[in-house]
Amino acid sequence: MPREIITLQVGQCGNQIGMEFWKQLCLEHGISKDGILEDFATQGGDRKDVFFYQADDQHYIPRALLIDLEPRVINGIQNSEYRNLYNHENIFVSDHGGGAGNNWASGYHQGKGVEEDIMDMIDREADGSDSLEGFVLCHSIAGGTGSGMGSYLLETLNDRYSKKLVQTYSVFPNQMETSDVVVQPYNSLLTLKRLTLNADCVVVLDNTALNRIAVERLHLSNPTFAQTNSLVSTVMSASTTTLRYPGYMNNDLVGLLASLIPTPRCHFLMTGYTPLTVERQANVIRKTTVLDVMRRLLQTKNIMVSSYARTKEASQAKYISILNIIQGEVDPTQVHESLQRIRERKLVNFIEWGPASIQVALSRKSPYVQTAHRVSGLMLASHTSIRHLFSKCLSQYEKLRKKQAFLDNYRKFPMFADNDLSEFDESRDIIESLVDEYKACESPDYIKWGMEDPDHVLTGEGNASGTVDPNLAV
Amino acid sequence: MENSLTCSSTPRWNSERPFLTGRFHQENKTTSRFAETKGYSIDSFSLGSEKAIGCYNAAVQELIVIDDLLSALVGIEGRYISIKRVRGKEDSFAFQVDTSMDLALQELAKRIFPLCESFMLINHFVESRSQFKNGLVNHAFAAALRALLLDYQAMVAQLEHQFRLGRLSLQGLWFFCQPMMGSMQALYTVIQKASANNFAGSAVLNLLQSQARAMAGDSAVRSLLEKMVQCASNAYLGILERWVYEGVIDDPYGEFFIAENKSLQKLTLQESLTQDYDAKYWRQRYSLKDGIPSFLANISGTILTTGKYLNVMRECGHHVQVPASENTKLMSFGTNHHYLECIKAAYDFASNELLNLIKEKYDLMGKLRSIKHYLLLDQGDFLVHFMDIARDELTKKLDEISVEKLQSLLDLALRTTAAVADPCHEDLTCCVETSSLLKRLGTFKDLGNSRTVPHGNDIEEPVSVTGLETFSLSYKVRWPLSIVISRKALTKYQLIFRFLFRCKHVDRQLCGAWQIHQGVRSLKMRGTAIPRSSLLCRSMLKFINSLLHYLTFEVLEPNWHVMHNRLQTAKSIDEVIQHHDFFLDKCLRECLLLLPELLKKVEKLKSLCLQYAAATQWLISSSIDIPNVEESSDGSLVSEKTKQYKSRSTSQVLKLSSSNTNVTESILNFEREFNAELQSLGPILSNGSQTEPHLAHLAQWILGVGNDQ
Repeated sequence: MPREIITLQVGQCGNQIGMEFWKQLCLEHGISKDGILEDFATQGGDRKDVFFYQADDQHYIPRALLIDLEPRVINGIQNSEYRNLYNHENIFVSDHGGGAGNNWASGYHQGKGVEEDIMDMIDREADGSDSLEGFVLCHSIAGGTGSGMGSYLLETLNDRYSKKLVQTYSVFPNQMETSDVVVQPYNSLLTLKRLTLNADCVVVLDNTALNRIAVERLHLSNPTFAQTNSLVSTVMSASTTTLRYPGYMNNDLVGLLASLIPTPRCHFLMTGYTPLTVERQANVIRKTTVLDVMRRLLQTKNIMVSSYARTKEASQAKYISILNIIQGEVDPTQVHESLQRIRERKLVNFIEWGPASIQVALSRKSPYVQTAHRVSGLMLASHTSIRHLFSKCLSQYEKLRKKQAFLDNYRKFPMFADNDLSEFDESRDIIESLVDEYKACESPDYIKWGMEDPDHVLTGEGNASGTVDPNLAV
Repeated sequence: MENSLTCSSTPRWNSERPFLTGRFHQENKTTSRFAETKGYSIDSFSLGSEKAIGCYNAAVQELIVIDDLLSALVGIEGRYISIKRVRGKEDSFAFQVDTSMDLALQELAKRIFPLCESFMLINHFVESRSQFKNGLVNHAFAAALRALLLDYQAMVAQLEHQFRLGRLSLQGLWFFCQPMMGSMQALYTVIQKASANNFAGSAVLNLLQSQARAMAGDSAVRSLLEKMVQCASNAYLGILERWVYEGVIDDPYGEFFIAENKSLQKLTLQESLTQDYDAKYWRQRYSLKDGIPSFLANISGTILTTGKYLNVMRECGHHVQVPASENTKLMSFGTNHHYLECIKAAYDFASNELLNLIKEKYDLMGKLRSIKHYLLLDQGDFLVHFMDIARDELTKKLDEISVEKLQSLLDLALRTTAAVADPCHEDLTCCVETSSLLKRLGTFKDLGNSRTVPHGNDIEEPVSVTGLETFSLSYKVRWPLSIVISRKALTKYQLIFRFLFRCKHVDRQLCGAWQIHQGVRSLKMRGTAIPRSSLLCRSMLKFINSLLHYLTFEVLEPNWHVMHNRLQTAKSIDEVIQHHDFFLDKCLRECLLLLPELLKKVEKLKSLCLQYAAATQWLISSSIDIPNVEESSDGSLVSEKTKQYKSRSTSQVLKLSSSNTNVTESILNFEREFNAELQSLGPILSNGSQTEPHLAHLAQWILGVGNDQ
């Protein structure tokens, strides 16, 4: 079964969205809660084997690893009606069950401690596949386990499986309200470094935007985690449709990502989805055409990343690449027309330094899931405005760092022992240079930008070596 | 008509004693008598008529003449009326009367002679055309004439009765003969023409009909001729009936206007893949001959296809017969054109039946969909896997490739991907052609596009052609689906496939290059050539993706969609074939396969992409020291190590960027060449887009024309 993908769900949030994801995949492929193919699921043409494998008794089992440092969420899964779906050998809960206490360093350190166990599980899964294509990591970047242990896993995967792709679905914390996790900026920053350096693609799922969508688009006054998670699972399943329902193009993960990601580090993707519904919500039935879907996908209100940009900056923001995955009964003759219309209306602001256009993938819709709308669409896009999200993280970090707040929790762990906080500085530099690169993408001279050596040309932005060197001396 | 083989021979007794009417008897006598008494016009064989008629009284003369004339009316010579024959010509004779006869009587008698001559000729015709070799139409015509002659003879007998009663004068005879004169005369002319040209089959029917039309003013004659047409065509319609109702040619004398080429046998699967390029069996097994009866001329095509459809179904082992009822008998063809309706009904039935058979039982749509999955890559995941596992085999030289191995790898790829759900996937086979796509297109003459042909020779084959250039898929198409998916159609599918396959290959290589760039992500790249290289990689990926995108979502998918809808409403198999061929031709044209100049440019771009992809590993590793890569990817970095690496890589990169300028140089070279080549596509596309609007779409995709923001 070629081109398999192994999913790692780490931490509370990771396991929650992961569970929703598997629920959705089971529904779409006609697999029952116990992993048995439903009687009605006779229509072929789908690829279950990318995400599932079949046990000896023909049960479909997700290629998933459920990892957490505290048992609550995983116990919940094991007591749910989906308990028989997963491979129990693939569930890892740390022995002490105490979690990571929302501390990145704790998660990272514990990750190192249980590396053997987890890598055994990963190796076993990898050996069970014909030609593993890569890994998908679901986690949040704010907490302790998903961020810290997730970071550790990213580094280890990069090391051990350097030829495999690593894609993450990373939930960014809600930055509008004060979080109960005060050290969230630290955790985010440290995780972002790994996401930048050790992942091939990061699908950014911004809790702020998810909440906003739930409130504004779905008219839920107080959205629950389950409801926002179902948004996430919708995005996750939709972004894998071209792998699961093969079509003309994008039938493997590398093809999908390569067309979207321009340069090695600018691999953060935004998503948009339409029409949005949550479970059991009465749908307003509207006429959905390809053009409608594409146009709605470009509206910021449907995009699951909030841009914290001021209007002036927002107008500078540009799309680097867009892939629209359109599912459902589509008249293929409409596609060209719709793209033409969008082009004429100048609805999309593309980068100027290279060729860019909206790519469309028409994909089948699961025959087993009934929806009120004929057509649905997912947009995966690389957009320069994502830098504002990182800037926000940076500024929140700076605020906290300036106060030297809560650093003691981190100093307890080896990485930060002896008051060595260079990891923070290094992470900050890397995120800053990432922001710079995205900013440079907005200018037509980006092509030359990469060739310039920041050490010779003093731009005032890339002070990477400038700050590292003093640390060396420390 | 070379039907001597098929028709039974005339029995011997019939040829030895050919004319049961007894004419042979007199004829023999006459000839022998002529031999003895040449020059004598008056004969002395009957009733001892030594005296010349002139010596009788005029009233007596009249009686004698009437008696003789009554004999002459049924073709027997009288005492003073003789039949003069031209030797060797059986159907040419003249009646002569004794010159000593009263002139008035002579004159009257001579007026009746044409009737006698007509009778003789018709009688002769009836006798001679009743032989087997003359065919069913002649038989039927002769039979109808014989019936007419019977009436005629009965009339003569009645006249004779009147004569015996003494009630018939010569004037009376002349009067009574009047009604017959016109009809017999008309038949005489018809028969003269028919026998002069030795007409048979539909020619006879045409002659009769045209004669009937020519005599339209004379209603009696016209109705007689129409009756003759009807009688004569009865047998012919019988043949027609079997053909349009059962698909059988029951035509022993070769009169029917549809010919069956028996030498074209339905080919076995293997042969039909290799030989039957044009679906000959379908196109040429049955054909129209000359000599279509004029009343069927307009509908002959329909008749041909009706029987052809029925035949195909029979070949498939389906015994289909057009349901018969009273109304469906092909009988009359007067002005009501009932036969036309019958044929139309039969055609509708047959085409419906065959269409259903091919669509339902043989699942045409399923097959087409399956071909689309594999040859048009609509379900491209199998190809991803196949290219994974067959990479080594495909990069071999042409003569080292093992097709069997490729086939087994293909089967493996099909079994392990979504294709496994498609029952038709086993029909997919792979093959390795001998020349690259460009060369193949140059020799593909059946595209109906003369422009491609002259370019055939100036395409130079790359020095080493590998399986990647020549790999192709094929599909086993069985009878009767090969009617629609003929060898020719399949070849067109293959051409499109090879083009797509090559694009996919380039795409994969570039994805590999992209992954190499991803591998150095954690290093500090600014200031090196890597960012530039990754942007070039992006441009190339963008190009090949856009091309693929154009080919699939702008060409194949919409056209398929249109064809699919048309096929749903198609009324006949011919319509299906037409739509399918139209689809393929449109796709070939829009996939640029008919535009060699453009295609060559695209191929050049692709080969640039491949060269770049192959060089990427070297380019990247020369930009950055490899040991660094390993060190940096060592997951558990302690801070000390990090610092060490940091300092080292910074200095190294610096050193390299100043010294290793030729890496940068070659990347810039690639970039220049690629961009120049890409830009040169612009004018070609915009020039062509006036005549072929799809080129404007392509330009939009790969050049971003109309996207200036």
